[in-house]
Amino acid sequence: MMLAAVLLFLALVLPGLPLGQWRAFALDTAQFAFLISGLALAWDLLARTGQLSLAHGAFFGLGAYAAALSAPALGTVPALLVGGAVAALSSLLLGLATLRLQGMYFAIATLAFSEVMRTLVLKAQFTGGSIGLPVQPAFGGAYPLGGYYLAVAVLVICTLASLLLSRSRLHYAMAATRQGEAVARVLGVPVVRVKLVTFMISAFLAGLAGGVYAMKTLFLSPYDAFGLGRAVEALVIPIFGGLYTTTGPLLGGLIIVSLETWLRLRIGEGYLVVYGVVLVLTILFLPKGLMSLFARRKGARHA
Amino acid sequence: MLRVANLSKRFGGVVAAREVNLEVRSGEILAVIGPNGAGKSTLLNLLSGLIRPDAGQIEFLGEDITHASPEVRAWKGLGRAFQIVQPFHEMTVRENLMVGALYGKPGTSLKAARQVVQQVIELTGLTSKADTEAGELTLLEDKRLELARALCTQPRLLLLDEVMAGLRPAEAMEAVELVKRTRASGVTVLFIEHLMPVVRALADRVVVMDYGQVIAEGSYEEVAANARVREAYLGRSA
Amino acid sequence: MDLLLQTLINGILAAGIYALVASGLALAVGVVGIVNFAHGEFSMIGAFVSYLLFVGAGIDPLISLGLAALVLFLVGAITYYGLIRPVLAAPELNQMLLTFGISVALQNIALLLFGADTRVVSTSYQGATIALGGISFGVPPFAAFVLSVGLLGALYWFLGKTRLGFAVRAVAQNRLAPGLLGIETQQIYLLAFGLSAALAGIAGVMLSVMLYASPTVGFAYTLKAFAIIVMAGLGNLRGVVPAAIILALAEAFVSTYVPGGGGWVEAVFFLVIFLALTWRSWRLS
Repeated sequence: MMLAAVLLFLALVLPGLPLGQWRAFALDTAQFAFLISGLALAWDLLARTGQLSLAHGAFFGLGAYAAALSAPALGTVPALLVGGAVAALSSLLLGLATLRLQGMYFAIATLAFSEVMRTLVLKAQFTGGSIGLPVQPAFGGAYPLGGYYLAVAVLVICTLASLLLSRSRLHYAMAATRQGEAVARVLGVPVVRVKLVTFMISAFLAGLAGGVYAMKTLFLSPYDAFGLGRAVEALVIPIFGGLYTTTGPLLGGLIIVSLETWLRLRIGEGYLVVYGVVLVLTILFLPKGLMSLFARRKGARHA
Repeated sequence: MLRVANLSKRFGGVVAAREVNLEVRSGEILAVIGPNGAGKSTLLNLLSGLIRPDAGQIEFLGEDITHASPEVRAWKGLGRAFQIVQPFHEMTVRENLMVGALYGKPGTSLKAARQVVQQVIELTGLTSKADTEAGELTLLEDKRLELARALCTQPRLLLLDEVMAGLRPAEAMEAVELVKRTRASGVTVLFIEHLMPVVRALADRVVVMDYGQVIAEGSYEEVAANARVREAYLGRSA
Repeated sequence: MDLLLQTLINGILAAGIYALVASGLALAVGVVGIVNFAHGEFSMIGAFVSYLLFVGAGIDPLISLGLAALVLFLVGAITYYGLIRPVLAAPELNQMLLTFGISVALQNIALLLFGADTRVVSTSYQGATIALGGISFGVPPFAAFVLSVGLLGALYWFLGKTRLGFAVRAVAQNRLAPGLLGIETQQIYLLAFGLSAALAGIAGVMLSVMLYASPTVGFAYTLKAFAIIVMAGLGNLRGVVPAAIILALAEAFVSTYVPGGGGWVEAVFFLVIFLALTWRSWRLS
């Protein structure tokens, strides 16, 4: 909560700080960090039901393409909503086929799904195929900081969704589904519906972030928008920061995106190796993420 | 209240339930006993909907629920406590109970659920452990939690699967009192049990199963005197 | 008619290597209970072993097969011992994330070491073809097919007829509670995971001749292997061969008969996964 508030304040005042020649770079990096952290928060929502999604890069990409294609006709904000809706709809179809089954089937299907989305976008005509798709800036470029504040808004929405969901009825259903599906059902939790609804919310938020991303980069290519790298970012950040929390993905996003930006400048291709290593090390040595270093567990606090 | 007709289930070549007929009357405590592998746990899984029968019918409160999912059965008032306690480890006792209270009856608000949980916590003597993580409980506390969580769904009929197993005699008698109190609050109970003193202390009626079939039915004394029952128990151990 | 026959042959020949990779994955899933997202990366390592031996020491891929199998068995065993074993009792989500992390790390280490270029092991027989009537096929795919069939036969013999193989199957069927693993079970897991990686490695050597070695060459095979074992039923080794044939034939037909089919081939495995899952899901409810 505290972190979220501090972050929001910093995000709002950042454009006004006297950063000199670094200003453009700082704003660009911050905007990217906000969007990726939003994506990470969205991924974490689904993880709360025990599902591993490797499709969040694809939802991000779908949102990006859908928003980019519909923005000229609809305007910026409706186009962003269309992006989210397209992502949510595709998650519904994917979820209907797989969420009844054991978790591993779902993970495999999401991986396949993202590979195929890339193939489809490559093959289709209206997406620009392998050449790519030029995108108009947010609000037709009328406000230089429009895209930046849209990214802030997306992060705020994702943070609020994460916070509100952990205080809702659904929170209990999600946690129960993750920790014991059969028991949860006997207690009356409609686990398939819970997983589907969560999946759709999560995909919608990922698509929303993708749309703003499109209006930031001004150019989409299937390899960038549907690369597995984005799915990797989406999941490593919450795991590193602390699964099933709001602060965890926010904190993880700050750290990891900073690290990523630095590495991209250093070694270019192959920077994802860090994600792989961080992922493996976190699972092995810090399965509850950074958050477990700061916060004592609930039970211990009361004892 | 619950009527089971000709219920059958086989796993591969093993018949786990063979044309089981059973009736649970409103307000009673019914015990289902039988040797290991007699099909008692299969019966409970069939009743709570975790496995689907090959044939037969289950009727609950006058409705056919043979093909209903576990969650629908829970909403209709069928509660269940597991033999092997399966608490949600990463949640506190209170949070565990909240799951049952919120989803056992569709549309329960957070506020209403908190009240139910508080009542059940007091009823089951879990007050001092309410905010402990479930992973840190003792076996007795785990069993209490298992029962409490089922109670939170506000069932009309409660299915208990050997909830006394592993408890010391004094603890088991404590649990017996708890089940009696539960019945007094208007809940019908069907329980599976190995410990005969518990069966004698609790059951209004006893059903005996062997090889997936019901072989006897009646009061504790009647069943204990039944020749087939004696054979099923003694014949197996001899 | 010839086109149809040619398509059939192409499909069947491709099925061999598919079945080889998928059998390895099925071993990991069926015996150890781990969904290994890094399986294709073991093939990638195999392909680079073959490439490096060929370029560095002029060793023919046929000989590299054995070496790569050995190397990958060790890689698999070490991976199991150091990384998989600690999470055997962890939630499934953590296990999958771990193997996915291994996959990402291996791909990108290869990218850092070798760059993104594709490297082909160009042996003298690489371009050789066999012509029979109106149809023709390359020598390397044919050799890979024959080898795959032989290896699969050996694998089935090992699992079906030997004491050790019997132990492996026993462990696979008797999922013990995690944390209660006996030493023997641990050893079987180690063996199964090593074998799984070795099979992937051998397939990788074949790929280095038929296709190329590159950091991402294995990833496509992870997906195809998943499509096959989802069709066969996770961990069901018996269904792997027919499922591999179905996938390979489907790809061959799409590639031949669908206009501009080359690019769509990459989507076939997804359709297969999706159909298999939908069918499974429908049967469950």
